Amino acid sequence: MRAFASLAGVALAALSLGLAAPAAAQSYPDKPVNYIIPFGPGGESDITARHQQAFYPDMFGQDLVIEYKPGGGGAVGWSQLNDYKGDGYTWMGVNLPHIVVQPMQKDVGFKTDDLTIVYMFHYTPDAIVVHKDSEFQTLQDLVDYAKANPGRVTLSGSGKATSNHIAQVLFDGMAGIKTTYVPFKGTGAAVTALLGKQVAAEWGYTSVGASHRDQVRMLAVAMDERHPLFPDVPTFKELGFELASGAYRGIAVPKSTPEELRQQISDMIGQINHDPEFRKRLENDGMAMLDVGYAEMGAFMAKMTETYHGVAKEAGIAE
Amino acid sequence: MTSERRAAGRDLPGSLIAAAFILIGALCWWDTTDMSDPDSYVFPRMVIVLMIAFSLLLILRNLLLGGGRHHLSTAGSWPRRVGLVAAMLLGALAMPLVGFLPSGIAVFLAIMLLAMYDPWTGFRRVVFPLVGFAIVVGFFVLFSEVLRVPLPLGSLFE
Amino acid sequence: MLPGIEYFAAALTPFNVALALGGVAAGTVVGSLPGLTATMAVAVLVPLTFAMAPASALILMGAIYTGAIYGGAYAAILLNTPGTPSAIGTTFDGYPMAKRGDGDLAISAASLASVVGGLVGALALLLLAPPLAEVALAFGPMEYFWLAIFGLSLIAALSEASLLKGLIGGCFGLLLSTIGVAEISSDVRFTFGSRTLLGGIEIVSALIGLYCIPVLIDMVATPDRHLQVEAKPRGFRLREALTISWRGKINLLRSSIIGTLVGILPGAGGSIAGLVAYSEARRSSKHPERYGKGEPDGVQATESANNATVGGGFIPTLVLGIPGTPPDAVILGALLVQGVRTGPNLFTEQGSIVYTFIYGLLLATVLMLPVGLVIGRYAYRSIVTVPKAMLVPTVGFMTMIGSYAIRNNISDVVVMIVLGVFGWGLGRFGFAVSPIVLGLILGAIAEQGFVQAWTIGSAMDDLPGMFFGRPISLGIVALTLLSLFYPLLRARLPARRGVVREASYDE
Repeated sequence: MRAFASLAGVALAALSLGLAAPAAAQSYPDKPVNYIIPFGPGGESDITARHQQAFYPDMFGQDLVIEYKPGGGGAVGWSQLNDYKGDGYTWMGVNLPHIVVQPMQKDVGFKTDDLTIVYMFHYTPDAIVVHKDSEFQTLQDLVDYAKANPGRVTLSGSGKATSNHIAQVLFDGMAGIKTTYVPFKGTGAAVTALLGKQVAAEWGYTSVGASHRDQVRMLAVAMDERHPLFPDVPTFKELGFELASGAYRGIAVPKSTPEELRQQISDMIGQINHDPEFRKRLENDGMAMLDVGYAEMGAFMAKMTETYHGVAKEAGIAE
Repeated sequence: MTSERRAAGRDLPGSLIAAAFILIGALCWWDTTDMSDPDSYVFPRMVIVLMIAFSLLLILRNLLLGGGRHHLSTAGSWPRRVGLVAAMLLGALAMPLVGFLPSGIAVFLAIMLLAMYDPWTGFRRVVFPLVGFAIVVGFFVLFSEVLRVPLPLGSLFE
Repeated sequence: MLPGIEYFAAALTPFNVALALGGVAAGTVVGSLPGLTATMAVAVLVPLTFAMAPASALILMGAIYTGAIYGGAYAAILLNTPGTPSAIGTTFDGYPMAKRGDGDLAISAASLASVVGGLVGALALLLLAPPLAEVALAFGPMEYFWLAIFGLSLIAALSEASLLKGLIGGCFGLLLSTIGVAEISSDVRFTFGSRTLLGGIEIVSALIGLYCIPVLIDMVATPDRHLQVEAKPRGFRLREALTISWRGKINLLRSSIIGTLVGILPGAGGSIAGLVAYSEARRSSKHPERYGKGEPDGVQATESANNATVGGGFIPTLVLGIPGTPPDAVILGALLVQGVRTGPNLFTEQGSIVYTFIYGLLLATVLMLPVGLVIGRYAYRSIVTVPKAMLVPTVGFMTMIGSYAIRNNISDVVVMIVLGVFGWGLGRFGFAVSPIVLGLILGAIAEQGFVQAWTIGSAMDDLPGMFFGRPISLGIVALTLLSLFYPLLRARLPARRGVVREASYDE
């Protein structure tokens, strides 16, 4: 056993050496940052992060390393965020409405206020998408059909208690119709069901319209103004429905991260987000850009939380 | 517990395990009563019903026809078996505290001692732990550096 | 004339050949380590591809991917632990073969089958991609549900001792698959207040636990050798493997086609392809009773099918922009970041990228044979010759780091060990682990298909039509019934009718 003791000693020594160098804020970042995506690879959150990853090294001279911590629709990652060291080298992606609605429903190991969000960089607006062969040419066609045949319009969407689902409930209320929401395990599966004509339409995102341009048609987008990529697609507001919603993405850091570092990270993400080439790429993917920095985050989150609380209750998603 | 092939008597362990599954099923059913969305409980309830039905059938068959000719032998050393599982479990629990590398090395050496059936010659005493050390460190570097897996460093040292 | 043959030369630049070779070798090693998946290996490479030409990046990722699917066979054969979920079916016959001293033969047979499957899949991608992509769209929720049931019907064959015990295990596996936050209803289920269980049971960790821990527990308990060994080394046993492959050529071809088709289905993947092919191979075999006891055809069925999913999975990925398998999703993401637009026009508008990639994939698949045989032989010799005091801790340590790395989560390691002990204990009393595993991997597909089909069927007021009125569904149901009852039928028919019996002697 003596051999073991000495081996362990060597290992411990080696380890403590590696940990000895403290992080200095002045030179931040002086090593790669770990950017945790609380979902699996290949999803929209991952692809967004990959875009950021491509721009990061040129701007800050270090690497941005993307890692995945999937599980529980993001809850596994978010419930562990504050266990990480707040040295600026751990970032985690956050998504709305997930981080507001999940803790409302059940105990998922974190509360919305536990998350220190430093930047919200874009959102993917909700949209009603139909197959290019669909009989529904306009939103009105769909509403008329749904009025005549309550419940018979099936819409695929990404899961329940998501932006898609909330939009469906809200829109049904506004239009005075009854449609059937068919939850799938993600946007990819929901699109596949639409393309295969398993459902009549999809509650998807503008990104669906962007990546499947040749195969689908969008009837309306839930934005304040038309999306630059789709000048011909009306907004719900133009058509008389007060609906502007979508899935928001941002970055949070562990609670122990010092104030000045939070601000610095917020500025860094903002710098990427303001790069014209970066903006163009994301808009081409169907995203709508957004710039909410650390300073304005409190007000932004308060507003969003209030909205979602009302909506989720109305939609019967949470008490 | 050296249950060699028993005579075609009652498969008592089988029945007990089936009873345990019935209990698990009942517990899970109770959990489903908390769910309000049919999408959440329809499928699990269907599965629970089937599991309990099959378990009841198994118990019934064992009672009426007898059963259980298929128990595997459990020859061999129990302390070593228990030791292996204990070493791995303790190692896993210790990882967040002392870090992946020290804990991994400790687990490796512990299992090495448990799996050793040949005499510890002087050569083995030196070479085996060294090779083990190299394997663990090698994997540690492969995962943490090449594959960028964030292996825990241990909260005790922070 | 093959389409895009002019790009063949482009695929064969020394740089691309080096990428294909290195990719296959690295992928094979990745796949052989339980816990390291193709998805992970490909994801790690994404930043590298920003600086590369898109076609070269694709070749590298495709080579790693195909190598990893193949490498999963080693651990399945030598340690009874699928290195990737695709190799679950390989354990059924591969490990019994290794136990009796035929591990080298099993590896050679797996290598040949993987190359055949990979080639069939890649050729389908080259020649038939646009029409085959329709398969992905023809499968609705109902078809996925029945496909999962077809997979579950294998429980009947895998319940070693008692069908009832197998069925109980299968139900338990299905129940395990529902733990955590539900993927489609977002409800928190069966966590009983534990935060550890919020994310559910991770499938790869569970596989490692259920298959590998029991092997370790029994390995450590006795001084016996892990695998039988012959006194003198016998080379690759390639000739024997070739004979087996030639005799089972129908099986190889059928399994490869099954693999290609299942690969096209988004959300199904290599594990289901392997299981479906295995089930079909067993049903149509003259000796179904040998399956599960070390039948080389069983190994070849799974291995050809799972490698065929690589080419198959790229079909919807490139044609429709819908990833066929998880690694495809990562590759698609990398392409999007590079500004490559997938879609029906990709083959015509960006032919240089697509065809260079497909030829690169074909090349990588062919290179897999020499690379695989060499690495496989090394793996086999290591497992056979390494003393137990080194083998057990090495494998034990690998199970821990592997199950951690899947989600970077320490509780997955604990769950892995607990499930392993549980599986070992149940195995003592005739409850095999394979039915539990089938339930676990097929549970999500079965449940989601069921819930969605039910929702759509109710909305249309046509539940019976939904469940039993769709042609593809009926086809899968028929296949399921056939594989369940065909063995019984065949056992009876010749006994009753002498004529049939005589006719079968003529073969």
